Amino acid sequence: MRKILRFVKREYLAAVKTKGFIIMLLLMPVLMGGSGIAMYLLQGQVDTTDKRVAIVDHSGIVTDLVLNAAEKRNAASVLDKETGKKVQPAYVFEVIAPDETDHQAQRLALSDRIREGDLHAFLEVGPNVLHPEGDQSTFRIKYHGKNSAVDNIRNWLNNMINPYLRKIRLSEVGVEESKADEIMTWLQVEAMGLVTVDEETGEIQEARKTGEAEAILVPVVLFFLMFMLVMMGAMPLLQSTMEEKTQRIAEVLLGSLQPHQFMAGKVLGGLLVSLTGASVYVAGGVFFMRRLGLTEFIPFHVIPWFFAFLILEIVMVGSILASLGAACNDPKDAQNLTFPAMFPVFLPMFIFMPVLQEPTSAFATWLSMFPLFTPMLMLIRKAAPAGIPAWQPWVGLVEVILFTIFIVWIGGRIFRVGILMQGGAPKLSNILKWAFRG
Amino acid sequence: MKGTSTDRIGYLPEERGMYKKMKVRELLQFYGELKSSRKVDKEVDYWLDRLELSDWGNKKIETLSKGMGQKVQFISTIVAKPELIILDEPFTGLDPVNVEVIKDAVLDLRSNGSTVIFSTHDMNVAEKMCDFIFMIFKGQKVLDGTLVSIQDEFGSDTLRIRTEGGRTSLDNLDGVDKITDFGKLQELRIHPGSDHQKILAEIMSRTQVYSFELAKPTLYDIFLRIAGPEAEEKADA
Repeated sequence: MRKILRFVKREYLAAVKTKGFIIMLLLMPVLMGGSGIAMYLLQGQVDTTDKRVAIVDHSGIVTDLVLNAAEKRNAASVLDKETGKKVQPAYVFEVIAPDETDHQAQRLALSDRIREGDLHAFLEVGPNVLHPEGDQSTFRIKYHGKNSAVDNIRNWLNNMINPYLRKIRLSEVGVEESKADEIMTWLQVEAMGLVTVDEETGEIQEARKTGEAEAILVPVVLFFLMFMLVMMGAMPLLQSTMEEKTQRIAEVLLGSLQPHQFMAGKVLGGLLVSLTGASVYVAGGVFFMRRLGLTEFIPFHVIPWFFAFLILEIVMVGSILASLGAACNDPKDAQNLTFPAMFPVFLPMFIFMPVLQEPTSAFATWLSMFPLFTPMLMLIRKAAPAGIPAWQPWVGLVEVILFTIFIVWIGGRIFRVGILMQGGAPKLSNILKWAFRG
Repeated sequence: MKGTSTDRIGYLPEERGMYKKMKVRELLQFYGELKSSRKVDKEVDYWLDRLELSDWGNKKIETLSKGMGQKVQFISTIVAKPELIILDEPFTGLDPVNVEVIKDAVLDLRSNGSTVIFSTHDMNVAEKMCDFIFMIFKGQKVLDGTLVSIQDEFGSDTLRIRTEGGRTSLDNLDGVDKITDFGKLQELRIHPGSDHQKILAEIMSRTQVYSFELAKPTLYDIFLRIAGPEAEEKADA
């Protein structure tokens, strides 16, 4: 045991005493949340070049609305009122008379103008948009542009034209304009939590309003945190074991350690690295949430499960990676084995969203009961606001413990043979032979 | 070999097996503690000092020259005071001065009761340092014994001679199986049963002899006789 601890100490210090570890500790959350941060930072970055849009109105009732709305918008939003600096593009509409003889030729001509850069887009309004009945092609509103699907002008037009047309329709059936506004008022169905009783006062507490971000954020953050920590603690074991083998360090170590001690030292070293990272992130997260007055959002009931599943995941995946690293003879072998070895971690990454949305579905339940995927999928199900039956995480935990023992045993047998086996790429048949026949 | 028995063995691999990013002193302490399960700071200091590596204690392994790396690897093998020491080509990469330093250290370890097994292709080292010699050729044991007993097997069939005429004066001598030319010195392998005196008299009639010695074959020569092309030809025949 003392030897294993000494080896664990070396492995741990070799990993955490480097600048790379500190940088990784700081950068990992940034990299993981990189797209969100980038979107936040780029939020204010707007192309302020004026957008020239042609409008071909077959109905004859939309053009004036658009021109007036654009004029108002341009006056209100294009220039910053305090600095006078241009902060938004102006929407400049060019009215084109519809060519009723050849629609396609007119569309092609306008499309060519867009290609040449003379126009940003063109809007074509069907003749029957006010009374959409009969032939569908007569009441379509089409917005043509290079990037029309995600163009803000399309949304702007959408939100303006439809209420306008509805109001005209209402007035045609005799509804006053003031009543029309009331009729068209849209009420959102609010997401609320459950009503509770205050333990101290016995009073019924108001249910808390929950946002989509809050419902998804906690499980997703814990899920990605586990993924990061597996990458930090277990992933390097494949490469480092292969290096120790090829650089003959393993030969020297095996003069002092039994192969199972060697593998245990590597896996436990990786586990400690991960737990160090986990402690920093969890403690840091709790500290900042408290400072920001968001203590109620800290999932204290999930944190023990997080650590339990993290430990088992690192031991399980770490044993697989270390044993495969022992079977490798060069970096190319290690590279080829990385993806299959990380399958228990990568697959949950692909399917976590449906599992989070429907944590009690048969798909989510059964997949999270498969021991290779249990740590990550059971964690995200447990952290989901919908909740899961209380017995399921316990059954999952017992399953993973038993499976991890099995994997460590198999991994130890592969490691024992592989670490001294030189020459040739590791074949699946050989690895299976080492695992079951020694 | 299991459990504590491996702790009594020190192994120096032919290729260096050291963590490149570790510092010399840390590495030696790690290997020593792993083997002996106790602190080995004093031993590390002693050996670093003895092998003139004290100034390199805080340097990383990757900064060492090949020779220095070999010395560090040697210390890592013996720092836990093993009873059986296996050294695979221990003098690789060392200059003559360091060869002597390591050689002295090995002899000290032997005097202090450790058993040392050399795995080497350097016949001179084996001849000078080993009490027992064991040779494996093509997976078979071909020599086993002390140097004297092995040489006795081959008899005193070597005439080592220095002449004015050199190699050219030794052509076509009856009773000589092979001549090995070292430039200023030649070794003649006498055919079994041939008369040394007659051969020497023949050479003296051809040229002036400065010195001669009737000797047993060296281990190097024995190695060649067993594993050289000549032996291969005999085996094929």
